[in-house]
Amino acid sequence: MLVESQSHLNGALARIGKLQKQLMEREVILKTTARLLTAAAVALTLPVAAQAETEINIVAFAPGFAWADMFGPSGTDKTDKLRAFEEANDITINIEFADEETARQKVLLDLVNETGNYDLVMLGSDGAVQTFSYAGYLEPLDDLLSTATEYFDPGAVYPQFLDANRVDGKLWALPYYSFGAGVIYRKDIFERYGIDTFPATTAELEQALETIKAGLEADGITDVYPLTMRGAPGEEPSLDLNGFVYAYAGYPAWFEGGATTPEQIREAKARPIFTGDFRDGFETFVNWSRDFGPDGIATHTWVDMMNLYGAGQAVVLMPSAINGFAALGGTENEDVSKHTAFAPSPVGPSGKPVQSFWTFSVGVSAFSDNKEDAFKTLAFLTGEQAMQGFAESIGWPYSTFPSITRGEVLTSKWPKEMLDQIEASYEQANPQYFPYIPELNAFMERIGTAASEAISGTKTTDEALAELQTWAEGRLEQGGYYK
Amino acid sequence: MTIDWRFWFVVPMIVALATVVLFPTVYLFWMSTQHWLVTDPDRYFTGLGNFARLFDGADFWQALRVTGAYLTLSTVLMLGLGMGLALTFARAGRGWMRAIVVMPLVIPPVVAGFTWRFLLNGEIGFLGAYLLPMAGLDLNPLAEPRAALFSVVIADVWSRTPFMFLIFLAALQSIPRDYYEAARMDGANPFHEFFFITLPLMKGALFVAILFRLVDAINTFELIYVMTRGGPGRATQILSIFGWRTAFQELDFGRAAALGVVMLVICLIGALLMFRRFVKGDAEART
Repeated sequence: MLVESQSHLNGALARIGKLQKQLMEREVILKTTARLLTAAAVALTLPVAAQAETEINIVAFAPGFAWADMFGPSGTDKTDKLRAFEEANDITINIEFADEETARQKVLLDLVNETGNYDLVMLGSDGAVQTFSYAGYLEPLDDLLSTATEYFDPGAVYPQFLDANRVDGKLWALPYYSFGAGVIYRKDIFERYGIDTFPATTAELEQALETIKAGLEADGITDVYPLTMRGAPGEEPSLDLNGFVYAYAGYPAWFEGGATTPEQIREAKARPIFTGDFRDGFETFVNWSRDFGPDGIATHTWVDMMNLYGAGQAVVLMPSAINGFAALGGTENEDVSKHTAFAPSPVGPSGKPVQSFWTFSVGVSAFSDNKEDAFKTLAFLTGEQAMQGFAESIGWPYSTFPSITRGEVLTSKWPKEMLDQIEASYEQANPQYFPYIPELNAFMERIGTAASEAISGTKTTDEALAELQTWAEGRLEQGGYYK
Repeated sequence: MTIDWRFWFVVPMIVALATVVLFPTVYLFWMSTQHWLVTDPDRYFTGLGNFARLFDGADFWQALRVTGAYLTLSTVLMLGLGMGLALTFARAGRGWMRAIVVMPLVIPPVVAGFTWRFLLNGEIGFLGAYLLPMAGLDLNPLAEPRAALFSVVIADVWSRTPFMFLIFLAALQSIPRDYYEAARMDGANPFHEFFFITLPLMKGALFVAILFRLVDAINTFELIYVMTRGGPGRATQILSIFGWRTAFQELDFGRAAALGVVMLVICLIGALLMFRRFVKGDAEART
């Protein structure tokens, strides 16, 4: 019995010992795990503490074109210039390039969903700036301007490029690559048909285009067109077409009384006037496209304009001369590179020149968590240094800074007279030559498509405008303008 | 009631399907009932208002007509060509020849669109500027409205016919040879064989091919966008391009969602009709 009890006791002691050992082992394991976890947490925290900088995310298009001096030709390599900025300001810039349409959609969806994934968003001064600022998706920049004067001095910029980005009196975006109106043309062909100076008015230009058309026909030249413009459906033609409307009507003729803001439209209950004063400019754009342009102009975008001119198949490219300069950069046609000249945009019956004014702008998302750093980055990316880099890498005669237009890079490449004319075109420009309303995107889209229809002949000018008028009235009703 | 333990193995798939199919569909229906304009900060329930505005506008009906013409033309051409190629290659033709026929299928629609756009360009394109005028066809294929529609159809047929070909080829090769031998002994000629053996036995494959085509045609986007952007004017603006314009250009998300619902319903009706005609009708005939 005693032996049995002793045996039980020994067994119990052995189990206790085993249990103690297990507990100790478990404690060791727990302690080790805790230590490992702590070490891991510390390890994870240390780099965060070391990299206290802010991350600024940007979405844009055209890698290798936009900010080639910052992100390299591929759009993914940060240059020393950019790294120096990042280091100096404890900011890491992450740029995401996409094709233009995708980038626009990414911006739209990011803003509409209020995610704030992108601190800086790419915008255009022909719809996005207006639509997104009215919707409250952008941060007004006026108060931020003073926080990054070392990078961006608003006083040093052509004021028109800033005005293009002002809505309701506030500045919503800063301009990067931008341009004004003008004409690129083949001086040799003009001279061949007895025209020595480029026409100053739309009436004279129409006459000159008639002469060139007749001359080309008489010479049996069928693959050269007197004029190239863009007439693809969608917003594409609207920038130029509205320039015609402005030159013919003398004001942004979309609404009764020349209303250009939502407040003015509401106050005056101004109806659209697409079948009224808008008509003359629209009709001229359509008729010139049909009479002097290539057969396919109703589907042409700026790329087609550029290619056609570069291939030597167009005599005049207007009013967005920038596309002609783009063509000059890639043309292999010697006649084009040798005989191309620039002329100011012709003046319409109202006494005002045909417009085409646009800025590739960048704004700060209202949903960004780092608005000040985002603005600092924006100021850096659109400031004088950045634009100097753009001039050096692309070399087009357009810049947002007078100091660059008159600087060594551009003056050594382009004739002074031409640069003076380009500067003059900014002074004559009304950057707000179309109304600045929240629905601008939709209107531009509809106006462009109406033009494409009229050019292609699927509708007459009157039919296209009547449909545009009906749609516009409905859209304003839907927007609550006439309540 | 107890749930069979095996049910839990299916749960991850149900969750996955609900996330990627059910939720977006329900969200689409919800969006279609909202007044949701990016330009208007007020977002509110509008019932069937978006549908009313959609059906009120000439755009929708125009896009529907273009989609109908595009669908009919491309389907007829694809079925004819796909069947012809399948009949040719079912019993003859080497592997490399089949590979060449199938090649356009692996070319992304965007690339196909660019290729055709440059080929058909009336100013600089090999076909549009040189070959067609040499053949006496004096038209710009992408600029003249009807020619533009036909051009996008041709590009689509070129791009998607190989898919039809593969479906038909598989179906043809699964038909037992005995049927043809027996028919021939009874005096059937090749036309009899085709209409009384091949075609009836390929009903299932035809159903699948047409169903895929219906959905594919209604959802075609990249090819047309790249070639014509829906133009000239609205000549090639099918429903998907119209939806994209409504959402991303006019910024009217509510109406675009209503259009999405309509497109979904069109696809479902098409699928149901074909199911009744081809599958159910076939099953009833057998019983």
